[in-house]
Formats: sequence, C-alpha cells, structure tokens
Amino acid sequence: MKGKGRDDLMQQARHRFLLLLFAAIAIGLLVRAVDLQVLRQAFLQNQGDVRQQRVVTTAAHRGMVLDRNGEALAVSTPVDAVWANPKKLLSDQDLWPQLAALLDLPLSAIQKKVFKNQQKGFIYLKRLVTPILGQQVMALKIAGVGLQREYYRYYPAGEVTSHVVGFTNIDDQGQEGLELAFDRWLTGVPGRKLIVQDRLGRPVGDLQQLTVAQPGKNLTLSIDKRLQYLAYRELKATVQKYRARSGSVVIMDVHTGEILAMVNQPSYNPNKRSERRSAALRNRAVTDVLEPGSTIKPLTVVAALESGQYRPDTLIQTSPGWFMVKRLTVQDSHDYGLLDLTGIIRKSSNVGVSKIALSLAPEQLWDVFSRLGLGRSSGSGFPGESAGLLSRSGKKGKVKRVTMSYGYGLSVTPLQLVRAYSALAAEGILPPVFFQKVTDGVKGERVLSRQAALRVSKMMMAVVAKGGTGARARIVGYQVAGKTGTVRKSASGTYAKDRHVALFSGFAPVSSPRLAAVVVVNEPQGKKYYGGQVAAPLFSKVMSGALRLLNVLPDDLPEPPMEYASIGGGL
Amino acid sequence: MTSDLVLFRFDLRVDWLLASCALILMLLGVVMVGSASFSMSERIFGSPYHYLIRQSLFAFMGLFLILVVGRVPLLNWQNMRMWMLVISLVLLLLVFVPGLGKTVNGSTRWLDFGLFRFQVSELVKLLMLVYLSGYMVAHQEEVRQNPWGVLRPLLVFVLVAVLMLIEPDFGAAVVLLATMMGVLFLAGARLWLFGILSLLGGAVVVWLSTSAAYRLARITSFLDPWADPYDKGFQLTQSLIAIGSGSWTGTGLGGSVQKLFYLPEAHTDFLFAILAEELGLLGVSMVIVLFSFMVWRAFRLAYWSLQAEKPFAAYLSYGLGIWIGLQAFVNIGVNMGVLPTKGLTLPLMSYGGSSTLVMCLVIGLLLRVYHELPPEITTPKEKAS
Repeated sequence: MKGKGRDDLMQQARHRFLLLLFAAIAIGLLVRAVDLQVLRQAFLQNQGDVRQQRVVTTAAHRGMVLDRNGEALAVSTPVDAVWANPKKLLSDQDLWPQLAALLDLPLSAIQKKVFKNQQKGFIYLKRLVTPILGQQVMALKIAGVGLQREYYRYYPAGEVTSHVVGFTNIDDQGQEGLELAFDRWLTGVPGRKLIVQDRLGRPVGDLQQLTVAQPGKNLTLSIDKRLQYLAYRELKATVQKYRARSGSVVIMDVHTGEILAMVNQPSYNPNKRSERRSAALRNRAVTDVLEPGSTIKPLTVVAALESGQYRPDTLIQTSPGWFMVKRLTVQDSHDYGLLDLTGIIRKSSNVGVSKIALSLAPEQLWDVFSRLGLGRSSGSGFPGESAGLLSRSGKKGKVKRVTMSYGYGLSVTPLQLVRAYSALAAEGILPPVFFQKVTDGVKGERVLSRQAALRVSKMMMAVVAKGGTGARARIVGYQVAGKTGTVRKSASGTYAKDRHVALFSGFAPVSSPRLAAVVVVNEPQGKKYYGGQVAAPLFSKVMSGALRLLNVLPDDLPEPPMEYASIGGGL
Repeated sequence: MTSDLVLFRFDLRVDWLLASCALILMLLGVVMVGSASFSMSERIFGSPYHYLIRQSLFAFMGLFLILVVGRVPLLNWQNMRMWMLVISLVLLLLVFVPGLGKTVNGSTRWLDFGLFRFQVSELVKLLMLVYLSGYMVAHQEEVRQNPWGVLRPLLVFVLVAVLMLIEPDFGAAVVLLATMMGVLFLAGARLWLFGILSLLGGAVVVWLSTSAAYRLARITSFLDPWADPYDKGFQLTQSLIAIGSGSWTGTGLGGSVQKLFYLPEAHTDFLFAILAEELGLLGVSMVIVLFSFMVWRAFRLAYWSLQAEKPFAAYLSYGLGIWIGLQAFVNIGVNMGVLPTKGLTLPLMSYGGSSTLVMCLVIGLLLRVYHELPPEITTPKEKAS
C-alpha cells in the first residue's frame, strides 16, 4: 500500500508537470501572438499592404473639341480596355475559348499573346470595348483578367475636319493637329486611387482616393463647321474635276485672324485608324510651302505705293512685253503697252512689277513682304507649321528682287498668304492667327499705311471684274478683291512646263471686308490649269457660300434684270 | 424507446463545461471555414457556400456521433482494444490498395468513398489511443517496472508510425508518438527509460525532418521565411502577415484579405491565421484559452477516473487530452511560424470531414468518461474532502 501511495504521488507530480508544460506552451503561443499582432503588427501589415495594395490611375475625360458654334468636332466616350495578367491567366485555360468568343478574337491569338508574355504582369487583350462587353467579360470570372476605363475619341465630322483637329492615339494622347497642339489643355489630370486586390489581381475594394481625376477642358475652335463642310465639298469637287494632286482652302476672318475653315485634299477619316497614312495626314495649308507667283503682285504694288514714288495712276511702260535683267528674261503673255498700277495687277504684268521692283530701294520689297508675315511662322502654334522662305538676298540682288516681285524665289504657306491678304483687307493691320475662337478683342499690328492698303484693294477688284484674269471669282451681290496665280512648279532646279499650281487669293466684301480666302489647286491635269480657270471658280463658290452663311450684308446689289425681278416678285 | 428517453432525462450526467467548450470551438470553426473559403469556393464551385455547407453538414454528423458514442459504455472499447489495433493496421494498409487509396499532393492519406474521402490517420490516432489505454490497464505493473512493458506497445506504435510515414503523413506520426510518450509518462514509466526514449524519438524526428528534401525545405524556409517570401517562404509569410494584420481586434468577420487567394490552405491547415486576421488578438486568445481548458478538463477527467479506480478511462482521457492539446498547439505554432509546416489540422475547427468526425468521437468519448464517473467524485464537495 505504501508503494501504491508513492506511485500516486509520482503520478500526480507527472500529471502536474504535463499540465504545466501545456500551460507553458499556451503562454508561449500567447506571447508569440502579442509579438505578431502588437509588436510586429506594423511591419507585417506593411508587408501585407505591399502585396495587396496597388495604386491605380483613373483615366480623366479628355475635353471636347468644338467648333465656334459649339458643334462637336471631337468627343470622348467612356469604354473599357480588357487587360490580363498572363501569369494568372495561364491557370484558367479552360475559359479561354469563351473569352476569345466574347472578345471576337481567334483563340490562337489569345494563346499566342499569353504564352509570349508569360513573364509579364500586364498585357492588353483588347482595347476600346463597349462597357457592356466589358461587363460580360468580367462575368466569366477568369483569373487575372480585369477592366480599365479608357476613352474612345470620336470625330463626328470625320475627314472634313481631320487636318485641323488631328487625332489622338489609343492612349488618348494628341498625335496630330490641334489635338496635339492643345494636348495639355484637353488632357485632364488622371486620378490616383489606392485599391486592395486579391492575389489574382482583381480589385476587391477601394481604400483611398488619392487624387480625383480632373477632366480636361473643352477647346472651342475658330472653325465654323458649316464653312468647313462647304469648303471641303467644293475643294473635293474641284480636285476631282481637274484630277489635281492636292489642294487647300483657307478662310480667315480678316479682323480677328480666326481660321474659319481650313481644308485640304487628300484627306482621311480619323475614325479609321487604317486611313491614318502619312501622305494624307499633312495639313498642307500650314505645313506645305509653295511659290506664290502672281498672287504676290498686289504686295509689290503696295510696296510701290508706300514708297511714295508711285500713285495709282502712275503709268509704266511694259512694251514690248519682255525685258532683260542681267541674264533673266522677264516676260508677259502679251504686250500690254502702257499700264497704270491697276492695269498691272489686272493684267498680271510681270514686266510691270519687275520695273517697279527695280525702281524701289533695294530692301523695300523684302521689307513689305516681311512685315506682312512672309518668311516667318504665323505664331498659330499649329504642329508642323512651316515658316516659308523669304531669303535675305532679296534685299540686294537685282535678279532676286525682280523674281520676288512676281512671286518666285520665295515660298509661303497658304496660311501666310491668306494672312497677308487679310492685312490688305483690314486696311493694313496684320491679324494674329487663331485656331481657337477669339472672345475678347484682338489687337492686330499695323504693318501698312491705311491708304496703300485701301488703294490696292480697289485695284484688285479689277482682277475680278469682267475681262480680268480672275473674272470667274466674281460673287453676285458682293464686291470681291483678289488675285489669280498660276505657278510653274520648280523641279530639279528648273521650272517644269507641265506642272502648275493654280491659285486664287482674295477677300470680300470690299466695302467692309470680312473674309479672306486662299485657294490652292496643285497640279491640275488637262488643258485648264490657270488660277483664273481652276482656282477662281472655287474661290467664288466657297466665298459666296461663306458670306451668305455668315449673313454678311451684300455691298454690290446690281439692278436686277427683269427676269430676276419677276421671280423675286413671285416669291 | 420511451424508457430510454426517460432514462436519458434523469440520468443526464453531462460534462457541460467540456461540451460547451467543444461546441463553441466547433461553431467558431464552421463560421471561420465559411469566411475563409468564401472567395475560393465561389471561384472553384461557383457558389461561395460550398465549403460552409459541407462543414456544417460534418458538424451536424459529428454532433450526432457524439450522442451515439456517449451511449456506448467504455468497457466495450476496452474489450475491443486488439480489434482497434487490427483495424488500424488494415486501414493503413488499405490506403496503398490501388483504387481505394487516394493521392493528393503526393501523399496517399485518403480512402476514396466516392462521395467523400476519408483520412485514415485521423481515425487511426484515435483507435491507437484506445488500444494503448487498454494495454495500460492490462499491463500496468509491467509498464512501471519492466522496460519490456514499455517497449512492447512502443514497437507496435513505431510500426503504425512507419506506415504513416510511408503515406507520408509526418505530422500524424509525430503527434501519435508524442501522445503515446505522454501517456506512458503519466502511466509511470521509468524516468530513465523515458529519457532514453525521448532522446531516441527526438533524434528520429530530427533525422526524418532532414532526410526528405521537401521536409528539409520546409524547415529551412521556416527558420527564415522572409529570405524567400515569394516562393519557399510564401505560405508562412502570408500566414504571418494575416496574423499581424489582425492586431488587437481584427479586421472583422469577413474582412480578411489574405484569404483572397494569398494564403494557401486558408480553410484547412491555416484557418487559424485567417481567424487571427479577422478576430485579432482577442479571438486568438480565446481559441488558445479554450484549447488549454480542454486539455485541463481531460486531465481532470483522468484524475477523477484514477480516483474512481477506472484506469482505462483515465489513460484514455490523458491520451485524448494530450492529443487535442498537442495537435491544436502544433497547428497554431505552425501558423505563427514557431514550428515548421506539418500538415496538421486545427482540431474541431479546420475544414475536413474526417478530422471533424474523429474529433467529435474524441469529445464523445471524453463526455462518456465523465458520464461513467460516480457523481460524488465530480462534485466539488467530494473533491474538497
């Protein structure tokens, strides 16, 4: 019995020992729990955050591009991009066929994409899908597939405004045109938010909005969509009719310098990415230069008037229709005999303007051209704008001065030309160039004397008058001033005989000028290639339509012939 | 039937403390399994409730099992001890029969019954403890006096442990051997013999741990999980992150982020980490205290049984108590990164039919032990005297 009692004591000791051991373990675990959950809590939480949290950017809505009347020219609509984490997507291969069917991609394309990018954490499966389709994709619950909000840029006016407005790339960044020039203005500030994601990369919840996305600002252009459509339609018709290589029309408000219309051929539809080919992308009215030819002659005459050596009725002998300056032969198409300044413009006499150029102080011509903005950028900020070329040698050499006087040996953009004509129209005040709508007053710069500008305007009306070279530029109801130009294109150092640029530059109504326009038709094929034949009619159509659309008061209402009167009475 | 019911009502001697403790753990387990498996279940089965429903079902079956076992006299178990051994060996061998055994993740631990899989080692642990208790009663003096008395059951256990290791189920083998050692220790085995066996056992465990490459990898990654947190140390670091993120009161039920596919086995072996994340130090303390209490209660039942001269009940209670406590604390220790990964479930809580049902058997047996104790022993008055 004594042994048994000792055994009992021993047993109780061991019983207590094991219990104490368990208690010690329990306390040890509790200490460890405190260690993890209190002392090292911050470290572990941070480690978790590193794995679970992600900062994502939320796309900001890009501002709209509007025409001057608020019509949309570029609009962003919310869409989704379907992206994937290839590493995680690999685990869900059985769902790929469904995914491929939804996204309208061949299964092999998805396989190729995923296998090729196995090491990456992010690839786009398909971009710019409708939000409805995006939701259907998410409903498949495939590992490693997510949506990202993005915006699809749509251009309602398509090819009509494509050169001016330009376009954005798939990442919503401006690539061409004003989309590029005003990219920062249009682009909002993307928001940033902190989210929790599960291990498959799918967002589980928003933690914190770090910064709110700020939408971009709208851009209201100076362009009038109605004028733009009109100019585009007429230009396209003319270019097709004469099988021309290219063409441009620019309409400017002569007082504010706002571009009301600017169209080119060939054009492209910015909504079709496949059409974004480089040749058609250029906004030729701004990027391409040409020798202005006879359209420069009014500027030469302005220089003559400003010099004080000439009056409108000063007579110049142009017989026998040609003369030599050093080794250069200056030639008119006919012998015009004695011409006053109006006659020189009206007949477009090369001999006349050459003699004027030679009689002026050497730098006079260059100086007037330069003041009218030739040879330097207009400051419009349009991407790729060309400054043209107004060589300083035009201040000295006789030959150079002579060729410059009738528009060769210098190059201008259609935009520069229309701006110079705007200065003539606006009584000598050169307007700045605006592609965006101007709301407050514009301060142009006086570059010519008012008198000289007014006198030249009057002379240019003769061009459009019956028998003038630009008679076809006439507009019923409005007085038009303008000048034709038929430029022989230079090719490999000499001037080609069969390649021409047909030009017309002018403004209306002369009594109270409102619009200036330049028409360029490059390389019309066939027998008709003169500015007066090809460009002048186009000018007439575009300008008359524009004046009427803008409700400009007619300043040249003729006495209606009987038949018109009777129709008018019938209405 | 009616007499049974009447009898049941009047003879209702239930250890309410142990029963409620077990019930709380089970309910908490079901809730946590549901929470931890929510996203994963939805992804795999299309319904977020797949695991929750199954675990609830297991829990109900388990409760029924407790009622059944509670009505079987312990003497039946004691008399069937040799059968227990035979069944254990047969079950362990059946696993290797092609078509019956089911291999998951390289381990052949399951018998496939089509509708569900049964993890053999769970039941074997229980049966072997019943066998051991019976052996103790039959050979009590030998165990105390004669080394052979200890070595005989030890050899049997080593055989079973080896079979478990072949599966392999390292964790089950370790728990079984450790529990057996505990019971032998409490039964009064000589200390020197015990010391030698402990050293030997420890050496074997160390040798086994380092012999298989995957176990060694587990050990090394356990020592410094942050050295390679995205590959070898992944599960452990995620577990630590989960526990650490819980802080004092947790992220709230359902608030765990780690269960969103970050932490593998979140609803089974690493359920505790998710519990720690969602319920914080508060929940962790509660679970540890509850398991500690169960160990203490089992030991108390054993102590009373000894007093009531019921050695079989006593050794069984000791064994079951040590087993529950050991497995729970090892699991928690693994979750907290103080022990290498074992593949052990958290008793009564982790997802799994075999584990849940066997643990309910354990609770049923313990409740039966209490039921068979003379009332005067378990009342405080008697205890005081």
